[in-house]
Amino acid sequence: MDLSRRRFVQTALLAAAGAGVTAACGGDSDSGGTKNGKNLTLWYWGGGLSDKVVADAKKHFTDVTLKSSVIGGTFKQKLLTTMNGGSFVPDITGIKGEDIASFLPNANRFIDLNTLGADKIASQYLDWKLKQGQTQDGKQIGFPIDIGPTAMFYREDMFAKAGLPTDPAKVAEEISTWEDYFAIGAEIEKAYPKSFLINNAGVIFDMAIGQQGKRMVDEDNKFIGDQDHVRKAWDLAVRPYELGVDAKINDESLKAAVADGTLATYLGAAWAALDIKDMGPNTKGKWRVAPLPGGPSNQGGSFLALPKECRNPEVAFEIIKWLLSPENEGRGFTDAALFPACPAAYELPALTGGDAFFGGQKTIEVFGPAAEKVPAFYEAPTNAAVTVPYYNELTNIEAKGKKPDDAWKDAVSQAKSIAKQQGVS
Amino acid sequence: MVFLFLPMVYSLYLAFQRWDGIGEKTFVGLDQFRFLLDDPTFWLALRNTLVIWGLATFPMLFMALALAAMLNSTRRLTGFYRVAYFVPNVTSVVAVSIFFFSAFSDRYGVVNAALQAINLPSVPWLNNEWTIKAVIAMLMTWQWTGYNMIIYLAGLQAIPTEIYEAARMDGAGPVRTFFSITIPMMRPIILFTLIISTVNGLQSFTEPQVLFGSNAAANPNSGGPGQAGLTTLLYFYHQAFDNNNFGYAAAIVWAFFLVILLFVIINWRTVQRGRKA
Repeated sequence: MDLSRRRFVQTALLAAAGAGVTAACGGDSDSGGTKNGKNLTLWYWGGGLSDKVVADAKKHFTDVTLKSSVIGGTFKQKLLTTMNGGSFVPDITGIKGEDIASFLPNANRFIDLNTLGADKIASQYLDWKLKQGQTQDGKQIGFPIDIGPTAMFYREDMFAKAGLPTDPAKVAEEISTWEDYFAIGAEIEKAYPKSFLINNAGVIFDMAIGQQGKRMVDEDNKFIGDQDHVRKAWDLAVRPYELGVDAKINDESLKAAVADGTLATYLGAAWAALDIKDMGPNTKGKWRVAPLPGGPSNQGGSFLALPKECRNPEVAFEIIKWLLSPENEGRGFTDAALFPACPAAYELPALTGGDAFFGGQKTIEVFGPAAEKVPAFYEAPTNAAVTVPYYNELTNIEAKGKKPDDAWKDAVSQAKSIAKQQGVS
Repeated sequence: MVFLFLPMVYSLYLAFQRWDGIGEKTFVGLDQFRFLLDDPTFWLALRNTLVIWGLATFPMLFMALALAAMLNSTRRLTGFYRVAYFVPNVTSVVAVSIFFFSAFSDRYGVVNAALQAINLPSVPWLNNEWTIKAVIAMLMTWQWTGYNMIIYLAGLQAIPTEIYEAARMDGAGPVRTFFSITIPMMRPIILFTLIISTVNGLQSFTEPQVLFGSNAAANPNSGGPGQAGLTTLLYFYHQAFDNNNFGYAAAIVWAFFLVILLFVIINWRTVQRGRKA
């Protein structure tokens, strides 16, 4: 409980840092003149970039000294606090996919990368991902490192015993809609009475929302969380629960469930392959990958950005360009399972090889097309906060047996009041 | 003094603003507090906090006192016992939370395995709203019993042995002595531990945060299934650092500060009144 007191102190410090910002802004202005600094700092988190590519970047850019720091703990908070303080702000920083929306309202604290030539190389990168790093008036704040195209991972051996198709191409054909997907739940249960189709309802909700372009708040800052597109995703999420094929796993026993065959399928992004390998090393060779029922969505994938304090924007952007070139993105995939945001990289040997964990399947054949088909979406800065009640209410259904209709009503009314509190109309 | 009070005053100032951490602050008057009164999640979090505090504090203080009384009358290995009971207090809450997490895990935990071994049904410890609170309370009890015991032990050793001898002459057994001599003599120390435990116990944060993962990108720090482990400070943390809703977070802690103050006053008065009677 000592830690809890420390949290208080941390907030207090953040608050104090906030007080300092006005002073810092005043004193800093003369350092912003020339902007040809020779020392550049780069912040990222463990696994956020390939360490080897970063090490090579240091050798490649000889006229500046690049210093990289791997920041542990909650990255967003540390970046926020530092930017607030106004000193020791990194010249180049990573921003996680789930955090980018919350930084966009403060676009004036970053450099618009289009002024440095980002628009000239934009065509090599996926449109929808670039858009996620843009403000509504088109300033490019974040440049995409990686993406998370989603797919359905499935246990080939369990599918075989349940009399289902096993070949990825055949699976793709026969399980192409959510209805097809829910239908196989019964077959699996017949063959494996103790197994389930899916780990929890929240996963399906997340995927189904991601399969279309709207979220909870629209471009005009209006709450749309009570509309059909959300209700449809909600109904899909509840289906496995109603059919009795939802394992209702909302804690870390997921790990054991993957390892011991409790789950016949696992819905996740390309990087989830790494999680499955970690959770169930003994299931090597038994998994395969097929497209997500109902079309692809995206989960995660980060950005690099230049805070306005950056001491040498031109060189810093050259470094970003180099770090995220198709070849280096290919290396990022090999070293850190970062799925490239530029389709040109999908042709590289690093991605086209077969994966023994998936029985030698060339997973890029599933993820590559999925990546290009993710629908572009608008994510409001308040979206994450407004979405929380939906997930909480889905767990209420699973943990307390709450009636899905009541849960929906409560989720919408809470989401509405959170939206209102956050200034959404 | 500046370091002590400036952050406090600043957070009070923040409670009247809307602020995302780096952008412009907007003055919103009492809006944050008005929303707080209507926010079902805040009340849920407050209720959770109080229940967890109650489940943890009373058994903990009673056990600590009983252990201290027993230890006070042992003659052998006293040093060993003192250290052994105090060790939980200096271990990392995070590490212990992780241990509790795996021990109480539904399908694969040691606790459920043990229950099944003696033919009892397994309990979904981390999926039911009451057992979630019980697990968090157990964790806190486990960690803080030894600490309180040491304080009680110090107090016990200050009670003159003549009083105990006199009681024994009058024919009082150990249980009678405990309730008629030990507890009344220890009143000021019990008050002290009660206030410390109130202030600490109401601030439970790390336990639920670690138990119910902050790793889920879509819904971090929700407090577990049914939000049963969402304590007030965890909710505050979620608002401030997941939602960047610093103004509202400040309003939460200030409202919560008033609650803690109220509790300390109630504690104080009850124990004081008991003394006069």
